[in-house]
Amino acid sequence: MAIQGFLVVSLLFSCLAATSYGVTFSSLQESLVVTASPKHGQVLRAGEDNIVVTWSFNKSLAAGTDSSYKTVKFKLCYAPVSQQDRAWRKTEDHLNKDKTCQHNIVTKPYSSSNNTFTWTAERDVPTATYFIRAYAYNSADHEVAYGQTTDAHKTTNLFNVQAISGRHVSLDIASICFSAFAVVSLFGFFFLEKRKAKKSQAK
Amino acid sequence: MEESFSIPVDLNHKATEFNPFSISSPHMQAFHLAWLSLFSCFFSTFSIPPLIPIIREDLHLSHSDVGKAAVASFVGSIFSRLVMGPTCDLVGPRIASATLSLITAPIVLSTSFISSPSSFILIRFLIGFSLANFVANQFWMSSMFSGRVVGIANGFAAGWANVGSGFAQLFMPLIYSFFIKTNLSSSTAWRIAFIFPAIFQAVTAIMVIAFGQDLPDGNFKRAKKNTTYKDNAFGVLFNGLKNYRGWILGLTYGFCFGVELTTDNIIAQYFYDRFSLDIETAGIIAASFGFANIVSRPAGGMVSDEMGRRYGMRGRLWSLWVVQTVAGLLCYWLGRVNSLWGSILVMCCFSLFVQAASGLTFGVVPFVSKRSLGVISGMTGSGGTVGAVVTQVLLFSGSDNKISTEKGISIMGLMMLFCTLLLTLIYLPKSGGGMFCGSSKESDDDDPINVQDYHLLA
Repeated sequence: MAIQGFLVVSLLFSCLAATSYGVTFSSLQESLVVTASPKHGQVLRAGEDNIVVTWSFNKSLAAGTDSSYKTVKFKLCYAPVSQQDRAWRKTEDHLNKDKTCQHNIVTKPYSSSNNTFTWTAERDVPTATYFIRAYAYNSADHEVAYGQTTDAHKTTNLFNVQAISGRHVSLDIASICFSAFAVVSLFGFFFLEKRKAKKSQAK
Repeated sequence: MEESFSIPVDLNHKATEFNPFSISSPHMQAFHLAWLSLFSCFFSTFSIPPLIPIIREDLHLSHSDVGKAAVASFVGSIFSRLVMGPTCDLVGPRIASATLSLITAPIVLSTSFISSPSSFILIRFLIGFSLANFVANQFWMSSMFSGRVVGIANGFAAGWANVGSGFAQLFMPLIYSFFIKTNLSSSTAWRIAFIFPAIFQAVTAIMVIAFGQDLPDGNFKRAKKNTTYKDNAFGVLFNGLKNYRGWILGLTYGFCFGVELTTDNIIAQYFYDRFSLDIETAGIIAASFGFANIVSRPAGGMVSDEMGRRYGMRGRLWSLWVVQTVAGLLCYWLGRVNSLWGSILVMCCFSLFVQAASGLTFGVVPFVSKRSLGVISGMTGSGGTVGAVVTQVLLFSGSDNKISTEKGISIMGLMMLFCTLLLTLIYLPKSGGGMFCGSSKESDDDDPINVQDYHLLA
């Protein structure tokens, strides 16, 4: 009993500790410039089409701002239209509770000048409207800055990803065969029962 | 010629003892077939909820779509449970339940076809029909077991069957993860997983037809020729519908079993979304809710029989009221707890009490009407799913979470407390009375048959 109590208390403590520390999105500076190849409204096929991402440090900001940036993590984020009526994709200011960006693209070491990479939209990315956001992390692995392909209201440069359905012909055929078997066996049993009843009546 | 049974029986050849670990024919065999086939129906109906976090992404579902489908899964069974009642009275539970299982098994497998929100809602609606087998299950137990042990028989049969919902919450995410590891896409992996519930359901249905028997003396058609009492479908149906106790029990059952059904639908998502767990962990927690049924529902049945032995009907009704009220309080508390471990603990206690309340309810149902047993069982069982629909619609289906899930759970607890009070109105003049008055000595016009059966209830 005492051990369970201790476990409960320590878990509660760690939850509290985590939430009171976390970085908030509003505290981050938008110091990275990120652009992606898809045009606004373009539809990409998951598992097939590529995205070319170009990113750099915003030169109009003061020179030493990026001295703490160590790595940059790119994520695929849901646009507001894909978040509607879907609380599991909600945007929250506390980054460890935020569910806007659920798909990781790639993590790169930070460099301030022109960087590019190509990424193929993964097979399991769901059908939705997206934009790309990059978080810059310092050496303690906390977010310190960000950049995104869309504007502050998330209305421009949004692209769509179309996922492939997992339906296969073999599955469909198996289902039809099984259904036929179920119905046939049901009638088969009724038929057998009737025959048994007739036999016992004839005796 | 008198058949000798390997289990002690009464004048009607109904078993007077209950041993869940024996397979003596035909009583205990019927028990095992009944709970297994209903287990497969619960497994099928609740095979979708644990995978909803995956399916909602693949089919582009919104929160309202998920809520509508959850409601639809119970709406189908309201109607089918009502129909199943009189059907059992007429053709017997064996044929009725096997037919339903074999017809809904292909539908479970068709879940692999769906690719839009509307087809998702439709498939959940159709699969929900299979829950009508609950009525057949309880009817079968009430036909095979005497009044002394009917509560415990009903409790074990329904309790072990309800574990199907818990088993689904555990099994489906594991199967999905297994197929993901074999490098299939997420979309294919969840579709293939539904082969398992479908095949299982078909197999249990075939076993029921092959090995089951409706009554201790044989199957329905043969046994019927021996009775001198003629009956017709409408007479039986009307007799059941005009009995007010069926309506009250239906409503209170709606707020114990109905609440249990709704919780089965939302609990995996609740833990996944609120505490950011992964799908297997959320599945395990949700499964423990369903697994409590192994002991809690039979315990309810046992308590009912024990109270019935000591205090008669008054004991059965009071114990039902107490257990269901405690369940309501725990449900209210579940919505108020903010920590993960606290929620798990309260959920476990809640599961014990709400499921025991369901078991206690079916300790009372067999005594309401002998002639319309099927109809009363159907009304009560139906009431269970009506309660599920009402709670699901009112509390867990609004778009964009107008009521947060945790608040919905608390409100559900309060609704339970309120509706349980109706039990005070039940009065069974021949079978032991009600909560506040004893049984009367005058004869009742309700059921003009077999007065001798009621002596067995004391």
